[in-house]
Amino acid sequence: MNTRTLRRLGVLAVLFASLSMAGAAPVIIVNKSIEKEKVDAATLKSVLLGKKVAWDSGGRAILAVLKSGPVADEFLKGAVDMSGSSFNNYWRRLAMTGGGTAPHSFEKEEDLRKYVADTPGAIGFVDSANVDASVAVLTLAP
Amino acid sequence: MKSSSCLRYICPLILPLLTFCVVSGVSRGAVAIGDSGVQIGGFFSQGYLYSDNNNLPTEDVGGTWNFREAAFNVTDTIGAHLRVGAQVFEQDFGNIGNDKMILDWAIADYNFTPWFGIRAGRVKYPKGLYGEALDLDVVRPFILLPEAVYSPILRDFTASFDGGMIYGSVNVLKSSFDYKVFGGTIPINPEKGVADFYNGSTGGLFAGSGVTSLKMDSVAGAQLVWNTPVSGLKFVGSYSFFTNLDAYGPFIAYPPVVLGTDIPRFSWITYSSEYTVGDWVFAAEWQRTNGQLEFNAPMIGVSGSDTVGWDGWYVALTRRLGDKFQVGAYYGDNQSRQNYSSSDPSTYQHDTALSLRYDLNDHVLFKIEAHYFDGTYETFNTPRIMNPNPKQNTTVFAAKTTVSF
Repeated sequence: MNTRTLRRLGVLAVLFASLSMAGAAPVIIVNKSIEKEKVDAATLKSVLLGKKVAWDSGGRAILAVLKSGPVADEFLKGAVDMSGSSFNNYWRRLAMTGGGTAPHSFEKEEDLRKYVADTPGAIGFVDSANVDASVAVLTLAP
Repeated sequence: MKSSSCLRYICPLILPLLTFCVVSGVSRGAVAIGDSGVQIGGFFSQGYLYSDNNNLPTEDVGGTWNFREAAFNVTDTIGAHLRVGAQVFEQDFGNIGNDKMILDWAIADYNFTPWFGIRAGRVKYPKGLYGEALDLDVVRPFILLPEAVYSPILRDFTASFDGGMIYGSVNVLKSSFDYKVFGGTIPINPEKGVADFYNGSTGGLFAGSGVTSLKMDSVAGAQLVWNTPVSGLKFVGSYSFFTNLDAYGPFIAYPPVVLGTDIPRFSWITYSSEYTVGDWVFAAEWQRTNGQLEFNAPMIGVSGSDTVGWDGWYVALTRRLGDKFQVGAYYGDNQSRQNYSSSDPSTYQHDTALSLRYDLNDHVLFKIEAHYFDGTYETFNTPRIMNPNPKQNTTVFAAKTTVSF
């Protein structure tokens, strides 16, 4: 393989990585204890903003979020119409003024998925490629 | 002396927690303790203030390191709906606070549904965009909030109240309304910053060391937030009032005699709007406070009444520059409702501010800020905040760093 071919492969790899990032496909995952919970977009927003703290089937709604990254940005924009930093500030304000219990925050999707799998009532989001059988995928009700 | 005292108490508390939050799972605004529902959070900030002419915003002309705050909170959830928690807070703001630890908030909160919850205890006081978050450097680029709406002198008086609140959120079509209705009382005493509104030789009522007794009956109010269908746009209306705000002390015109004052009803109304679009945030607030002060010194046959209060407003603009930087600017205007005159600088204050914020990481930030004040309204000259020769214009520089977890 000559230098030119290597350079082209390198460019292709960068392009592929960029496309993968741009195509982040977040999905909502929940603990299996609440997989039958009916959640629509408004309910999801209410949970993410700390306004709804308990599931209709009982038990506390426990939030797990990614600290940053394209998956977090895309999910939060779609679900609560906020950027990652706006969401961060929103929760800092609530937590520091007695207004709510802050979400559990994770750097890695694997850690978030494990937390959701192990915690009754937990809800979070990861990229679709990182879902496994330990959690249930939540489809929003119309 | 005060600095070493502060560090002696704060550092042993903050440093281990910071280490803990760096090596453990960190939530947005709090640190979770294991798998329990317990979370801890807090911050510590240290700043420097320099004022070239007047004592704005506090203490004296010149520079001071007596500009710091610290808070530590713990919350826990019990069952699905109940949450309990408390935060202690201390500040040193010139000669106000003096690093004395106070209970900032301590609540039991039962959230029945998204549209109805009850919170009781010592509860943060909803007022405008920042009334509940006066101390949270992490949520804004500014060091000093616009004094026209958020007087730093009143922080220790209007940050929280003892009582109860009902709250909730209701979705209406593509928008939502968040409401809060509250009532209770606010513990006050002559050590609080609000005492400087009564003291001193420039417009004050009480002589010597100032007011000797301060009390009030109750506070009540409501706040409504309209999260509009327009992405990032919200409007806020806040109304509250105090009843029977009473003060006693040596009458400034004749110190051997005790003067008694009462404001039967002191009201606050604040209209706010905020629009977040991309990296930009536009904000504007207008506030009117109003009351009728009745004074009486029966021994010398003095009595009467006078209007008290102010009209304040500001417009602010901030912009995020990448992940690390944020810039902000605002212009604020505050006027006496008692005797405003454009030709009398003691009846107004115009404040132009420019700020720069740098976030080192999620936990440490730095800010610098410059202010140009025109007018001396609410520029105090009291035993605690000396300012014997007020000038019409003052420039203030501030720098501050905050560590939060």
